[in-house]
Amino acid sequence: MLQLVQIELYKIFRKWRSYIGFIAIGVLGVIIQIAMLYEGQKSLDFMTQNLRDSFVFVGNLLNGFLVSYLILNMLTVHIPFLIALVAGDLLAGEATAGTYRILLTRPVSRFKVVSSKFIAGNIYTFSLILWLAIVSLGVGAILFGFGELIVIRTGSVLILDRADVLWRFLLAYGFAALGMSVVCSLALFFSSLVENAIGPIVSTMAVIIVFIIVSAINIDLFKSIRPYLFTNYMLSWRLFFSDPVDISKVLEAVLILFGHIIFLFSITAIIFKRKDILS
Amino acid sequence: MIIEDKVIEVRGLTKDFKEIRAVDSLSVNVYRGDVFGFLGPNGAGKSTTIRMLLTLIRPKEGSIKIFGKSLMEDRNDILKDIGAIIENPAFYNYLSAYKNLEILSRMSGREISSNKIMETLETVGLKERSASKVKTYSHGMKQRLGIAQALLHDPELIILDEPTTGLDPQGMKEIRDLINYLSKEKNKTIFLSSHILSEVEQVANRMIIINKGKTVVEGKVQELLDSAEMKVTIEVDDVEAAGQLIKDSGWAGKLLSINNNKMVFDVKTDEIALLNKYLVSNNISVSSIVPTRSLEEYFLKITNESN
Amino acid sequence: MKGNIHLLKLIFLFLIIFYSGDEVQSQTKDPDEILTKVKEAFKIVNDYEVDIHIKVDVNFLKVPDSNAKLYFKQPDKIYIESEKFVLLPKQGLNFSPLALLNEKYTALYDREDTIRGVQTCVVKVIPIGNTSDVILSTLWIDQSRDLIIKIESSRKPLGTFSIDFTYEKYNDEYEMPSTMIFTFTIDRMRIPRGMNGQLDVEEEADSEKSGPREGKVYITYSNYKVNQNLSDELFESTEMDGKK
Repeated sequence: MLQLVQIELYKIFRKWRSYIGFIAIGVLGVIIQIAMLYEGQKSLDFMTQNLRDSFVFVGNLLNGFLVSYLILNMLTVHIPFLIALVAGDLLAGEATAGTYRILLTRPVSRFKVVSSKFIAGNIYTFSLILWLAIVSLGVGAILFGFGELIVIRTGSVLILDRADVLWRFLLAYGFAALGMSVVCSLALFFSSLVENAIGPIVSTMAVIIVFIIVSAINIDLFKSIRPYLFTNYMLSWRLFFSDPVDISKVLEAVLILFGHIIFLFSITAIIFKRKDILS
Repeated sequence: MIIEDKVIEVRGLTKDFKEIRAVDSLSVNVYRGDVFGFLGPNGAGKSTTIRMLLTLIRPKEGSIKIFGKSLMEDRNDILKDIGAIIENPAFYNYLSAYKNLEILSRMSGREISSNKIMETLETVGLKERSASKVKTYSHGMKQRLGIAQALLHDPELIILDEPTTGLDPQGMKEIRDLINYLSKEKNKTIFLSSHILSEVEQVANRMIIINKGKTVVEGKVQELLDSAEMKVTIEVDDVEAAGQLIKDSGWAGKLLSINNNKMVFDVKTDEIALLNKYLVSNNISVSSIVPTRSLEEYFLKITNESN
Repeated sequence: MKGNIHLLKLIFLFLIIFYSGDEVQSQTKDPDEILTKVKEAFKIVNDYEVDIHIKVDVNFLKVPDSNAKLYFKQPDKIYIESEKFVLLPKQGLNFSPLALLNEKYTALYDREDTIRGVQTCVVKVIPIGNTSDVILSTLWIDQSRDLIIKIESSRKPLGTFSIDFTYEKYNDEYEMPSTMIFTFTIDRMRIPRGMNGQLDVEEEADSEKSGPREGKVYITYSNYKVNQNLSDELFESTEMDGKK
């Protein structure tokens, strides 16, 4: 299995499209940080305006942690697309290229083939999130340094001591990776159904966008559906920036996301095992 | 008594695609050392059958045994000893030929060294271009690479679906020579599907013709062709007299055409000598007898009959 | 018997007059005089440097306890130095009687009151003109030390706050604040939502349901260095946010 995963990773990283994600995150991340360098203080002052009527702020809240937090918020739609771009091609790309015929006539079970693609796709996903962390925290440290993190939600403001922030980011990135793993699994599932990579990419993004819209609209019908939508839990990495951290909610989100991954992978494996290769 | 060693044993193989029955209760036997011709018109079910042999398609009914083992139960074991080209071979175009073969070798279940990969590329004439990306290859080069990947792991059974597509005459000859070499020198079993019937006639010892998913005829190539009628062109010095003679005889039904000094008959192999004797004994000088028996004509006749 | 009743009436009348006289006397305590004494007492300290420990206890605001160094120079220069981020109540931090009392105001003597076992007189200060957003301040003044030990202010539009001071004698000479408790109420918290979006849509509904928000900030002072001739340059630094 390890060999198969290595082969799949090699194939992924030999395609130029796989680098789109890294380039996009690198460029976007740096652009956002440079923008924050020039305009960030104004935005922060505006956001904390009401507090400043009653309080004096000593020290700088515009630091690498705040910028990394904002980047993580901003890229919630962009990153799924970058992942679908690669994951959607994992199976459908073989059909398009006609390489199913050489791949699936080897003495390797179809389950191992699809599993190796699933694992490789997730490794790619995790590496993308790792890169996001490096760009955010690394460039953030260079441009802004680190300090206390202010987390503003409607009705509350939380300021976290700098020594209390890094572990939260590590868990948040880990959780974000889990959320993106669901996206990868979804794209792989769509990829098993068709013979062209465009379909899975568009379908994955359509599902995510529709789910996000349904989650955002405040009518009773949608509210009752919301707990069943995985997009509802993809943003649960924010739970790590509460004090105290609601462990039960975190665990709930982790279980639900894992459940989605297992479910989607199982269906994909079943479909793939029974699929007639006609391409 | 010679116990024939069956390499492929197919029984009652059936496959439907929605309402269309692509393969209908097909049964085939291929023996060790055979160069087995698998023939049929377009849409006969050849490609579907080959894909079922290679587990790319699931049969609706029937059984497949290869090397005496059930394909459903011992798939991986069986595939270790099969090399195949299916239609136009496709590769990872963004990788080099060498890298493509290296990936496939790692999935073959065998230890294949880089030397072996280079040797195989040399066998098919691609050693010089081993580092080039496959997307830069011509159609013929990809075909050669397809043969290379089929032979890389030294399989016992080689399944070739249109192996000479896109090759020039020299290339076709090389493939024929390779098939003969593998069969005769290496005792490989070759399952060959081709629409270039003259190619099959030159290499195959046994064959099956299928049409609409069903077996039309199966057996040794020589025997089938011998039992079949063929065209014979006989050149005579007095074509008018010969024509009159034939028309008044029992050979009239076998006469197809008369053109200049040549008369074309549709006769079996063993009838040629009789026809010659009849003409000569009736004072007709025969200057040449040219049988134009071909698998192609046999094939067309058989498939038309089965339609 | 008649003579005894007459004496009792005289004594009763005397007592009434005496106590009435006292009331009249206390009603006539001069608030301006009281405040002037407070200002004078405050002027003894020209500058100081002190370590402060800040604890924020506000229901909508979670801030870790923090430490800083505070520098003060007359009349109202403040500079805060901290390695970490520090949140400090604006009104209490740079509270200076001189700042409050150098503006035009009307002072009214209200009453005597006892707070935390200390006898105080209560003076109301009403700023005149539109220069301040303070509508009314009430000061509890310990006259024995001429120190303000509590202040309550109403500001527009943000609501009321109060500050409780305790003092300790430093170097047997200076009465310096040892603790300050800043208590405030804000009717509506207008925190923008744009930063993070909503974690949970219900959170928004919950936050809107809750009533006026209040909280406390506790500041503890220690290690005073008084009258060290701090230079004005120190207070020109732009590091501290919110400096006057």
